[in-house]
Amino acid sequence: MRPKVLWAITLNTFRETLRDKLLYSLVGFAVLVIAASLLAGSVSLGQDARVIQDFSLTAMLVFLLIITYFIGTQLVFKEVERKTIYLVLSKPVSRETFYLGKFLGLCLTILVAGLIMATMFVAVLAIKTHQVPVAAYFAVGAVILEAWLLTAVSLLFSSFTSPLSSAIYTFGVTLIGHGSATIWLLSQKASPVVRGILEGVYYVFPNLEKFNLRNDVVFNLAPDITQVVWILLYFVGYTAFLLILGMSAFRKDEF
Amino acid sequence: MLVIRNLTKQFYQRNDTVTVVDNLSLHIKKGQVFGLIGPNGAGKTTTVKLVAGLLFPDKGNITIAGQPAGSLEAKRKIGFMNENPQFYYHLKAREVLEFVADLFEIDKKVATKKIDVLLREVGLKDAKEIPVRKFSKGMHQRLAFAVAQINNPSLLLLDEPLDGLDPLGRLDFKQMILKLKSAGATIFFSSHILSDVEEICDEVAILHRGKIILQGAPKALVKSSKQSLEELFVRSIRHEA
Repeated sequence: MRPKVLWAITLNTFRETLRDKLLYSLVGFAVLVIAASLLAGSVSLGQDARVIQDFSLTAMLVFLLIITYFIGTQLVFKEVERKTIYLVLSKPVSRETFYLGKFLGLCLTILVAGLIMATMFVAVLAIKTHQVPVAAYFAVGAVILEAWLLTAVSLLFSSFTSPLSSAIYTFGVTLIGHGSATIWLLSQKASPVVRGILEGVYYVFPNLEKFNLRNDVVFNLAPDITQVVWILLYFVGYTAFLLILGMSAFRKDEF
Repeated sequence: MLVIRNLTKQFYQRNDTVTVVDNLSLHIKKGQVFGLIGPNGAGKTTTVKLVAGLLFPDKGNITIAGQPAGSLEAKRKIGFMNENPQFYYHLKAREVLEFVADLFEIDKKVATKKIDVLLREVGLKDAKEIPVRKFSKGMHQRLAFAVAQINNPSLLLLDEPLDGLDPLGRLDFKQMILKLKSAGATIFFSSHILSDVEEICDEVAILHRGKIILQGAPKALVKSSKQSLEELFVRSIRHEA
């Protein structure tokens, strides 16, 4: 995999997604929702910081995931539909480089969108409480990591199904991923067969609650270094696994 | 330069298998302009895509200057222009060429000079800062022709390069192809516009249902059959049908 080629595809994908009007609508709406948390905070009887943090971080996650569902699932599909994929794959570009470039391009878009939302969140928090806990930055980082991981999920699904199906499946993975703890608890009380199935679901699907540091921010608990390293390792390991799976499927595709 | 041996490609549809390219063999020498002609659905585009590495053969093999088609080494040697070329809407003509130059890892300075030359040659010098989404079909074709030459390819693969162009555009394109031919380029192209093929090619092959039914130098074919290439084409296809 050649870095210059990978970077060319990443940058092109980033620029392409920046032209998507949906992205601007979503980022704009997210910024408005985060700004609106000021109002929500002001009617919360002394819990304004807690409400702003919880409200804003949840809004960030939701809007970044919508970007993933709607733009991520279309990335490869649009290339095939518009035949622009011929422009790239007839050149000395491996399928793996193309696939990874599309992933990194959208990750860059999500990072920029996330940073715009985070700037608004920090500004709102600073205006209202005159302090921004360190945990807030970790929580923002974890939200972005979760969106990146789900981008890999959406790209994997979009390599063998339609954008709509891919968006629905990715949404399903999000729901299961955030219900991991519940699935584990249920499995411990179930019959051996159901237990096996639920434990299988628990281990196969990503545990997205690992990226949920929103409560830590609300209670002003900075995550310890072990937790941060574990989150990073989990993200790298699971995302790499998804990308390898996606690349294997994409390698056999014909256009 | 281009060797195709016993190439077969099938497409699978629900309960049916369609053989689009059927045991096809071709040998295109360096400096030769080879035209693959045939009716719609004959397998021309599939053959070109197989050579470009966009499709994988079910049987047989293709080599480009000794390298297997689809390998990065083979792709470095080819310039490919697909039928109805499309580009990223957010890019300008110059940016499309810069992007493709990056894919070939061409040095920035070298690429900039080459891009200027190519844009001038294809008549898009004044349109280089216009986003491609505002381009007409003819301008898309011209840009695609420039893109196909950015790496000074050993083999130029053109799929229906003259399709959909107005008479002026076709004339320009023919002149550009003839210029490359006189410079010694190896060109493999598909078309169903017989007069153009007759004018440009050193050798032609008529493809029907994935098989070559007639092959030779256009002038020799016309002379031996005492028919125009168009008459010969129609007769060959009807005879096979």
